[in-house]
Amino acid sequence: MDINRIVHIAANAGRIILENGGETYRAEETINRLCNSYDLIGSESFVTPTIVIVSASSNFSQTISIIKRINYREINLEKIAQINNLSRNIKNLGYSLEAIETELARIDSVKPYDLKFMVLASSIAAGCLTMVFGGNVNDMIVSAFAGGLMKLLLYYLSSFKANDFFINIFGGFFATLIALICVSLNLATNLDKVIIGSLMLLVPGLAITNAIRDTIAGDLISGIMMAVEAFLIAIAVAVGSGIVFKIWFSFFGGL
Amino acid sequence: MFVRNLVLIMVATFCFSILFNIRGKNIFFTALGGGITWIFYSTSINLIQADIYAVFIAAIAAGIYSETMARVLKAPVTVFVICAIIPLVPGGAMYQTMLQTVQGNVSQSVSLGIHTLAIAGTIAIGIFVITSSFRLAALINKKIKKTPSV
Repeated sequence: MDINRIVHIAANAGRIILENGGETYRAEETINRLCNSYDLIGSESFVTPTIVIVSASSNFSQTISIIKRINYREINLEKIAQINNLSRNIKNLGYSLEAIETELARIDSVKPYDLKFMVLASSIAAGCLTMVFGGNVNDMIVSAFAGGLMKLLLYYLSSFKANDFFINIFGGFFATLIALICVSLNLATNLDKVIIGSLMLLVPGLAITNAIRDTIAGDLISGIMMAVEAFLIAIAVAVGSGIVFKIWFSFFGGL
Repeated sequence: MFVRNLVLIMVATFCFSILFNIRGKNIFFTALGGGITWIFYSTSINLIQADIYAVFIAAIAAGIYSETMARVLKAPVTVFVICAIIPLVPGGAMYQTMLQTVQGNVSQSVSLGIHTLAIAGTIAIGIFVITSSFRLAALINKKIKKTPSV
């Protein structure tokens, strides 16, 4: 039994889960399940949102441990779902180590949706939410425009692997700026509805969810880390749009 | 009005699940989850006029839907929870807090800020209760199966 290879595979699976927005306890569970399904009993893992540590020992008192550092995270829940299915079915389907390696590589290379599609989705989402919050059709069009443009800008910013908080400050700034300009040109009427609709795209839903689920599972460190992340993202969005308001007030005096 | 908002929320949730890179049939069920949460939220806010209570009821509904769907469709619960809580996330309250802070109304901004945090905390507690009870049920189930029948 090649414990080196098994531990590498397990750590890799944990890394993919963390990099794509999975919860910490899910990463630990997957690692342990992978090790157990190859009868590697003495395996332990410790995972936080930024690091994966796996250690295992064989029957011949041979010990190996691996640390994988997670440097950036994005959201691709499809990868999480696929790895989850994979790790649950190893025993039933009798995967060999090679098969699992190729399968993990395939899952890791699953592409996100096309950029055009993402931009379209974010503008529709922003427009719909503006309508729900009580805007009229003009507000919806402006908000859809702001949401789509914001997504496009943030996509290019995040392709430089820029800091998460910086990206969110920029997003809040940009959405508010477009909304203020359009309302002052009389293209839309309800400023607040337009801004809320497009800012909903930046709201930290994933961080809130993961904070809750990690805390329940007993991973208190990860729970606190995700809660702080959610809080800071919300603050960053508010700061970004607050800057625009402050500048607007001091130049044009009021709304 | 109610039906219009329901359809809009479901379309918005559908688009959000594209932004989260969810694929296949799961997308339709996440959109349905957003709709169900919205139905519970808007009905209960009409009945009791207290938004934190309404958010709690809707979060419980979202939690039950997500946990059930995750077991039926064999997908991670996160996929459904994230999209189901989208209609509840306090974007509007956050905006009002920011606006009051910028305008220098300290007392207004503090009370709105606490309200925003309370809504976020309520969503968390609602999901927390449901996930914990589902986990407890699973554990009890396991134990019953393990003990040999007399």
